[in-house]
Amino acid sequence: MPGNYGPLDDAHVFELYPDIQLSRDNIEHYRGLAQGRLLINRCHDCHHWIYPHRPMCPECWSWNVKPEEISGQGHIFMFTLLYQLRDPKSMIHEPVPVAAVELMEQKGLRYLSRIVDCAPEDITHDMPVRLTWLEEGDHLWPAFAPMPGSTG
Amino acid sequence: MGLNRHMDTIAVIGVGSTPYARDLQSSHLALGLEAAVNAIRDAGIDKQQVDGICGSGMTPLAQGGAGFLSLQGSLGIDRVTWGLNSWLGSAFVHGAGAVAAGLCDTMLVVQTYQREISMSRSAAADPYRQKLQQFIEVGSDIGGGDFAKRWLHSGEPYAAWMRRYMHDYGVNKDAFAYMAMNNRSHGSRNPAAAMQVPITLDDYHNSRMIWEPMQMLDMDVPVDCAEAHIITTAERARDLDVKPVYIHAMSLGGTRIGEFYENSLGWTENSHWAAAQGLWDRSEIRLPDVDVFYPYDGYTIDAVGCVEAVGYCQPGECGEFLKSSWDDAGNILKLNGKTQVTTHGGGLALGRAGGANFYSEAVRQLRGNEGARQVEGAKTALINIGSFFHDPSAVMLRAD
Ligand SMILES: [Zn+2]
Repeated sequence: MPGNYGPLDDAHVFELYPDIQLSRDNIEHYRGLAQGRLLINRCHDCHHWIYPHRPMCPECWSWNVKPEEISGQGHIFMFTLLYQLRDPKSMIHEPVPVAAVELMEQKGLRYLSRIVDCAPEDITHDMPVRLTWLEEGDHLWPAFAPMPGSTG
Repeated sequence: MGLNRHMDTIAVIGVGSTPYARDLQSSHLALGLEAAVNAIRDAGIDKQQVDGICGSGMTPLAQGGAGFLSLQGSLGIDRVTWGLNSWLGSAFVHGAGAVAAGLCDTMLVVQTYQREISMSRSAAADPYRQKLQQFIEVGSDIGGGDFAKRWLHSGEPYAAWMRRYMHDYGVNKDAFAYMAMNNRSHGSRNPAAAMQVPITLDDYHNSRMIWEPMQMLDMDVPVDCAEAHIITTAERARDLDVKPVYIHAMSLGGTRIGEFYENSLGWTENSHWAAAQGLWDRSEIRLPDVDVFYPYDGYTIDAVGCVEAVGYCQPGECGEFLKSSWDDAGNILKLNGKTQVTTHGGGLALGRAGGANFYSEAVRQLRGNEGARQVEGAKTALINIGSFFHDPSAVMLRAD
């Protein structure tokens, strides 16, 4: 059952994500994903959120950057519905939504995600969403679902 | 002269192209060599005069590609003083910039493109294209399982921007449709174009949905092709038996978006706006003086962004602007009743070349020998090539 790990050592994270270019800049993010926590780097001097996973704050050049769990609330900034995947041989039976979710923590702080619990045709710009998790094999992956009462 | 220390002192003296087709049964290197040889012959120079090479792609030591090392070895060019690989709008500007900086005298720029396995079922079934993709992807974890990394080097964010643009400005798809119709009309007059048949507004709206709201006719046509350019000093160009086309001003551009494209800044802050501003800071030729205009059309929204970025209309007004610029007689755009756009058909009709064929067409038009397709009196050309996120260019070319 994914998500129930205790402390995960680096070797275990490497084992869980063989296809990801893990580095010292992003491993805490993936350690978080493995444990069902969406971690985004934050500057502990000026409090700026930093994404993707970068080691220095672009606002104040502080190196005092640590991953922090986000609230999981945000809204859809932009999205597309995929009718064709990169592998032209794969068939799609209904369109797959891909959305840039703007996290409530900071303007312009966006996380690319799947949208679940919402018919593709009901997705709208600026729609409030909240974080949920998808269990796939050995992994937990983030997804966003409409805030209750926000569709349409 | 201000920021522009090289105004009109560098010139394009050679242009070379391959045919454009879905399957030329060729390699990147073979395509690049064919274009390079054509360009060197077009310039009428000896190959040993080439002392700088800008190859194709982003991987300096790539095997099997048309990188600068492979090109130099294959062409038998003994010595160079400059070499680099590049792509999209940047390649031409990197090459021209090296001449301007005095790092070399005669630059060969080569850009090759092939229909990739993600672009069609028949391409996906071709063992040579499969092998190509296998080695292109080495060193990258794009598509490596984390959905959040899906928009690294992806076209999908363009589709999302198309929708956001329509939402923010309260407009329909007219801007995209008119650009697509224009390019396909010009393609129907260009014997080299992969797509020879013009399209109607209905054809556009009825085309297959790919990444909603982006449709098939919003996307450039995947082909095998290559383009090459020879660039040298204006002084050297005057000794040659070609009509030089001068680089009046040029700029690259970039914003702080970074490599995860969902972090795009606002519509008017993508890289085309940065490059366009860079150009206007350096050009004495202004927008009303432009005779032919070449906005990159990897997707129609690229071209719409370029039209607005260089200032033909206000952000969000491109649909109305293009509609009012439509010339019914020619079934093409004439901006402000005058300026023709993408006269060769661009990526949407001639075929996908990362914008390299826009430079070729602009040079040929300014030489004045395009025959039936010649735009009468074309003396200045504005070219905007590149991604919203990286490697944009803005280049002003002029003839004497
Ligand atoms: Zn800071």
